[in-house]
Amino acid sequence: MANITKKVSWSSRGDDRGERTPLLNGAEEAKYNKQDIVRSRPKEIPHNEKLLSLKYESLDYDNSENQLFLEEERRMSHMPIAAGSGIPQIKCYLNGVKIPRVVRLKTLAIKVFGVICSVAGGLAVGKEGPMIHSGAVVAAGVSQGRSTSLKKDFKIFEYFRRDTEKRDFVSAGAAAGVSAAFGAPVGGVLFSLEEGASFWNQMLTWRIFFASMISTFTLNFFLSIYHGKPGQLSSPGLINFGRFDGDSVQYNLYEIPLFIIMGALGGMLGALFNVINYWLTIFRIRYVHRPCLQVMEAMLVAAVTATVSFAMIYFSNDCQPLGQDSTEEYPLQLFCADGEYNSMATAFFNTPERSVRSLFHNPPGTYNPITLGLFTLAYFFLAVWTYGLTVSAGVFIPSLLIGAAWGRLFGILLSYIASSQSIWADPGKYALIGAAAQLGGIVRMTLSLTVILVEATGNVTYGFPIMLVLMTAKIVGDYFIEGLYDIHIKLQSVPFLHWEAPPTSHWLTAREVMSSPVTCFNRVEKVGRIVDVLSNTSTIHNGFPVVVDTTDNDDEPGKICGLILRSQLIVLLKHKVFVERASSRLSQRRLQLKDFRDAYPRFPPIQSIHVSQDERECMMDLTEFMNPTPYTVPQETSLPRVFKLFRALGLRHLVVVDNENRVVGLVTRKDLARYHVGKDGLEELHLAQT
Amino acid sequence: MDLLTKFRFVIACLFAEYAVTFIPVANCSIYPSEMSGDSASKLPSAAAIPVAQASTLGSFYSLSLQSTFPEDLEVDEYCVELLRVYRQRYVTFANCLVTYARPVKICQNCYTGFNSLDDIYKNISSDQLGPGNVTCHDSLMRSDRMMLLFTLYNNLQDIWTSAKCSKCLTEHQEALMNDTVYFMATLNQSLSCFEQYQNHTELCKDCKASYKRLNELYGRMEKNQTLCIDLEDAMNMTQQLWSKTYYCLLPREETVPVIAVSSFMLFLPVIFYLSSFLHSEQKKRKLIHPKRAKSSSSLMNIQDKFS
Repeated sequence: MANITKKVSWSSRGDDRGERTPLLNGAEEAKYNKQDIVRSRPKEIPHNEKLLSLKYESLDYDNSENQLFLEEERRMSHMPIAAGSGIPQIKCYLNGVKIPRVVRLKTLAIKVFGVICSVAGGLAVGKEGPMIHSGAVVAAGVSQGRSTSLKKDFKIFEYFRRDTEKRDFVSAGAAAGVSAAFGAPVGGVLFSLEEGASFWNQMLTWRIFFASMISTFTLNFFLSIYHGKPGQLSSPGLINFGRFDGDSVQYNLYEIPLFIIMGALGGMLGALFNVINYWLTIFRIRYVHRPCLQVMEAMLVAAVTATVSFAMIYFSNDCQPLGQDSTEEYPLQLFCADGEYNSMATAFFNTPERSVRSLFHNPPGTYNPITLGLFTLAYFFLAVWTYGLTVSAGVFIPSLLIGAAWGRLFGILLSYIASSQSIWADPGKYALIGAAAQLGGIVRMTLSLTVILVEATGNVTYGFPIMLVLMTAKIVGDYFIEGLYDIHIKLQSVPFLHWEAPPTSHWLTAREVMSSPVTCFNRVEKVGRIVDVLSNTSTIHNGFPVVVDTTDNDDEPGKICGLILRSQLIVLLKHKVFVERASSRLSQRRLQLKDFRDAYPRFPPIQSIHVSQDERECMMDLTEFMNPTPYTVPQETSLPRVFKLFRALGLRHLVVVDNENRVVGLVTRKDLARYHVGKDGLEELHLAQT
Repeated sequence: MDLLTKFRFVIACLFAEYAVTFIPVANCSIYPSEMSGDSASKLPSAAAIPVAQASTLGSFYSLSLQSTFPEDLEVDEYCVELLRVYRQRYVTFANCLVTYARPVKICQNCYTGFNSLDDIYKNISSDQLGPGNVTCHDSLMRSDRMMLLFTLYNNLQDIWTSAKCSKCLTEHQEALMNDTVYFMATLNQSLSCFEQYQNHTELCKDCKASYKRLNELYGRMEKNQTLCIDLEDAMNMTQQLWSKTYYCLLPREETVPVIAVSSFMLFLPVIFYLSSFLHSEQKKRKLIHPKRAKSSSSLMNIQDKFS
């Protein structure tokens, strides 16, 4: 204490002569009482930078949740706001849910191969979702410095073998994936921000930005080699929407209501898409669950896609003359006159990115409205049907294509109505707005999508209309149903925690939320009991509170003194760290943190640990391995407070104690995630075996 | 006396300006002989000349403007001669282009004109010293903002390049290539075949072979990149004749089989989904009831609400 008083002095503006500052000197008050009345006058020093002033007060974000607060809350009523954005599995992972096999090397390989085949096969899919997932897998894999599938350990990056670090790397990987897919580094950073913001910190922002920039540079470099011009770095993203030329980019004030109408239309069409896809997915989960059936379904979808395309091309009469520098690489003549090509064939045979680009940039008059309309309709239903199949596929590009097509139709329609004015003569602009509206209506992303589109089209001028349109689409769409990714997360029954606890749920306390009674271990516990508890297949617990040894009756729960995890217990059992062997252990190697890290992330199951009958009688001392200060909450804590603590700290177990610090229950993610706001207020979800 | 000279000059200039604007072809050439001294007396007569002479191609309107400028700024005789040649060749070439504009036959007929224009332009823009130790490059081409000689030549050259005439002509653009000649011959064959028949269906059948040969030849030449605008346009017109005028397109024959197969394929998913709905067991989820503590009586237990 004496050292501190020398370095940092509390300077006060008030008159405190003769008054001792009680904070620092409290411990030594007894000693100073008699001798230092004279010497107790506080030292005075000239002003320097190593001082803290007493005059500044702190802000307080905490709520005093007393009875009055609860009464007031009972009187209020809130409107539910559905959150919605993100790629489902990565979103869940960043939320803190351990999705099995989401960041494995095998997953990466299969995903990449799958997406190449499904896109090349002509299905109505895109490749951005898989790219984002691949980026996350690469990040998770590289950060660990080893591969469990290939059984190679490079013995580097051992510090990062923890869930928190891995999660940060996955955020960076997802951002890098977005950046490579669209050529939008800032959009990638914002995408990660929109997903994992509760675990955000300042350093992370810059690291993720750095990763995004390097990702787009690397892609640029390899694409330049692929295009035959190594070193000429001109294609920052895999998906190229063409640059909107800076001179001709403009929109007028009177077009803003039109954009809002298009946004509303996009929201409604997106809600329609989501509803149909929702019922289809429910049907698939319930009835089409065998793997052979799923493969057959995928093949059927591919066959029908091909049939529909062929039939439409065959019966189409729309022929366009071949241009001088033909923008079409492979024009198909079919039944057209010589020197003309079938434009419906072009729509179907082009890759969706190429079509989107043509829709944005082709001069007015290139497209026949009827052809475009029929194509939009067919593609819409194909895309609805295809999403949710067991193929690696995304929904970004198909929805952009659908939106660009009806947006362009809208622009053509406008030019028919107002034939004299020349400003309507740019249907490409409406194609862009339509694409944004449709995508926003389906996935309900706002912030990151605005920036991604602005960066992908290379023009900030359209940023404001795009943002307006996305917000309108989200508001209109949320009125009907949630975003597509959130629907799929819900259908997968993932215990997903939203940003905040459901409103008006302060009357729920930790006592109702928690699981009770809790399986606890004594500080010095018998090995046999530990093995039995861990092997119990009816209840898979992962965290066990450690209580002070209860010598008397077992009814009274013990006082908490720590928390130990299943994974730690398994490592201890594997290394046979028993009390009886302590003497012999001195000659052996002492257990270090490295041993626990080596077992991460796939800890061996309890069935692989062999414990003999004699060893079952041994005792294990958990004191040096447990977490001695786990987070606890009193049992009267309201649900929002528990939720905030849990979510903000990213906890897995939260111990509930009574006023004597005895363990009464345990709160885990599944206990919290079951409360959400439904149509008629607070609803509780059921736990099930899936 | 000088002041009077200047005054008369100014009046003459005004008349000259007025007259020049009505001349369609800008045929101004600086006549170098009338300069430095005598020109003052010649001015009034010069002003009267242009209206009568200007309409005939090849005539020139002598403007002895330089009589009032000091000698350093005067254009050399040699350069004026070059300019005259340039004018002549330019007019010839432009005339040829317009004559053969529709249907486009400029490559075959105007290449000599282009060659000669190109020649004189290179001469003017070269930095060789002519007689009198002067270069005409600066004085003719780079003396004013418009740089008319340069701009006019460039426009014509752009037309020539975008017409890709060099693909149909030999190395130094002296004659047509063999391929071009062969193509024109094949084309004429097809056209003569078309003229023979009145009935369209007969035409479609009998002239099909020659038309097909023509198409193949065109495709080959397109791949080799030996096409110029003449050939493209001729081919285009023939194709229009074949497809639009004589209506010899490939008819849709197999509509019924296509519809049958498409319906069958569209029906397959319906069967698939129906059968999986009827035959597969619906996947049921086993509910788990976790252990919960009993709550105190003052707060309502949400589970009581739902149980």
